[in-house]
Amino acid sequence: MNPLWLAVRLTDNPPTPSLVCWAGRFTPRVSLADSALLLEIGGCLRLFGGLDVLREQVAQGLTEQGIAARIAVAATPQAAIWLAEGQGDSLDALAIPDLSWPGGVAEKLTRFGLRRLGELRRLPFAGLARRIGKPAATMLARAYGEAPDPRLDFVFPLRFEQEIELPAAVENAPMLLFAARRLTGALAGWLNVRQAGLRECRLDLVHRQGATSLLLRFAEATRDGNRFERVLRERLERLQLTAPVERLRLVVDSVESLAGSSGGLFDEGGAKEGMAALIERLRARLGEERVVGIAPVAEHRPECATRQAPVGGSIPTATPPRPFWLLARPESLAEIAGRPHRRGPLRLLAGPERIESGWWDHEEGVGDVRRDYFIALTQDQRWAWVFRELKAPGGWFLHGWFG
Amino acid sequence: MGTAAMLPAAMPDILARPDIWRGDRLAQAPLPTVASGCAALDAELPGGGWPRGALTELLVDGTGIGELSLLTFALANIRQGGGWSLLVAPPHPLHAPAWAAAGVDLARLAVVSPASGRDALWAMEQALVSGAPRAVVGWLPHADARALRRLQVAAVTGGALAFLFRPTRLAVDSSAAPLRLQLAGADGQLAVRILKRRGPPLAATIRLALPRPARLRRHESALAGRPAHRQPAHA
Repeated sequence: MNPLWLAVRLTDNPPTPSLVCWAGRFTPRVSLADSALLLEIGGCLRLFGGLDVLREQVAQGLTEQGIAARIAVAATPQAAIWLAEGQGDSLDALAIPDLSWPGGVAEKLTRFGLRRLGELRRLPFAGLARRIGKPAATMLARAYGEAPDPRLDFVFPLRFEQEIELPAAVENAPMLLFAARRLTGALAGWLNVRQAGLRECRLDLVHRQGATSLLLRFAEATRDGNRFERVLRERLERLQLTAPVERLRLVVDSVESLAGSSGGLFDEGGAKEGMAALIERLRARLGEERVVGIAPVAEHRPECATRQAPVGGSIPTATPPRPFWLLARPESLAEIAGRPHRRGPLRLLAGPERIESGWWDHEEGVGDVRRDYFIALTQDQRWAWVFRELKAPGGWFLHGWFG
Repeated sequence: MGTAAMLPAAMPDILARPDIWRGDRLAQAPLPTVASGCAALDAELPGGGWPRGALTELLVDGTGIGELSLLTFALANIRQGGGWSLLVAPPHPLHAPAWAAAGVDLARLAVVSPASGRDALWAMEQALVSGAPRAVVGWLPHADARALRRLQVAAVTGGALAFLFRPTRLAVDSSAAPLRLQLAGADGQLAVRILKRRGPPLAATIRLALPRPARLRRHESALAGRPAHRQPAHA
């Protein structure tokens, strides 16, 4: 794959770290030049469906963030930067004064009577290097691919914490969404490079008195910038700001690895957005506890036969744990200082689970049972099922082993 | 220009065209449908079942006449393809074992209980537009004609089964839902009146014998004879 470089030349400001992170959504190989961002896109053209589509996406992403920039694509990084700076489609046609040079070189070349890059290139390298300095001559050679031009890849930070200063204090929460888009876009790009997804992140709205923190939660690990934005929109629309916000900070504390998604071969149709995305949006607006799933519980009392379950979580039929071995007769246990003992004290790990039933057959058989069951660990690391008799005379009993 | 093109086509050919609908027939599967499980009802519904991508309005007073049993077959059907169901603002807490027994996949059932009617409407609209759940059932007693129009548009966009429960007093109001049913209990059965459908109006009431929790007895003396408060003797 031949390398291909896309230069994003910012017209207003130097590239910010958040912009570099954002560029990570296109390619992991991003490098910073003085006033430009360089993306090596030769390896990812197929993924995006061709140069035109990719270029269009980069341009659109910049517009959405309100960043003025010019984009150019070339086979060498220096050529891409110059093409983004100058006017023209080919290197030869670029006007020398439009381009960035080491100090004083552009004036010198103009005094030579050279206007275009093409004229400059026809001059012998050695003589040129003597007159305008080696760095400038090397730039020219690099632009034309006649000299190697190694670029240092940007090292994406291990932890994501980005901050942007708002141009003016914002008093209206929904208006923050536009500014926050830079951060969510950066986050999506950063996650893409790290091949990771997140379940929650925190947006701090920093104002003069302190900061308001919004915790954004997602139903599943994701790195989809649109989903970040949709959840954020629901939260911001409902938010009353206590003070004008001056800065935004987006912090991610933990990520989990998330493999890339594979598109369907056939149009699976139907769902435009996944169920998880819908649920997290409903939750963002209505509250976590208002969107739930349900699961049955093996329980006679109707009031207790239903429990809330995480939506779509694997729902096991929630039977309480039962031991594999049930003793024929419960074994009476000594009680010392309120704790059951069997060759040493037992550690009660779970319980109590009250079993109270059978009042109807107190004549024979097991009879009326009123017990609190616990799961206990013995001193010799055995898992036991013990109960405390609630009926007089009471006491502790071992009833089974978990095996 | 050939004269053949100028000739009017034969009437039967015109009538056979899929985009010609005769007023005395049910619309021919204009929308994909999901069978309701009741043959008598399916026969009268356009397309032979509940329409997907259109709002179905169910006018019921209160709960308990079998209005959910009418839907559970379709909701259970949805699980075949791994589809989700979403309930918006149900009037009572759900009893999970019953839903599971009816064949509804609880792992793919989400319940939204918004605090207000406005939120409920928003949630139902969002769910319908997203197209993520295969069926959305909502209880919105205060939804007005404008809200219904919004929901209908959302249903068309998302293509899910969309059921909306509203009280029967709203039967006289206009509604954007292409299918409107009024439900009432009748002698142990469910009486369904189709108020509106894509097709000729149906004057007759459909009576459906739904699976019921107990047999209806003519004489209830055996159960009624015992005092309700008697406690079994146990010490």
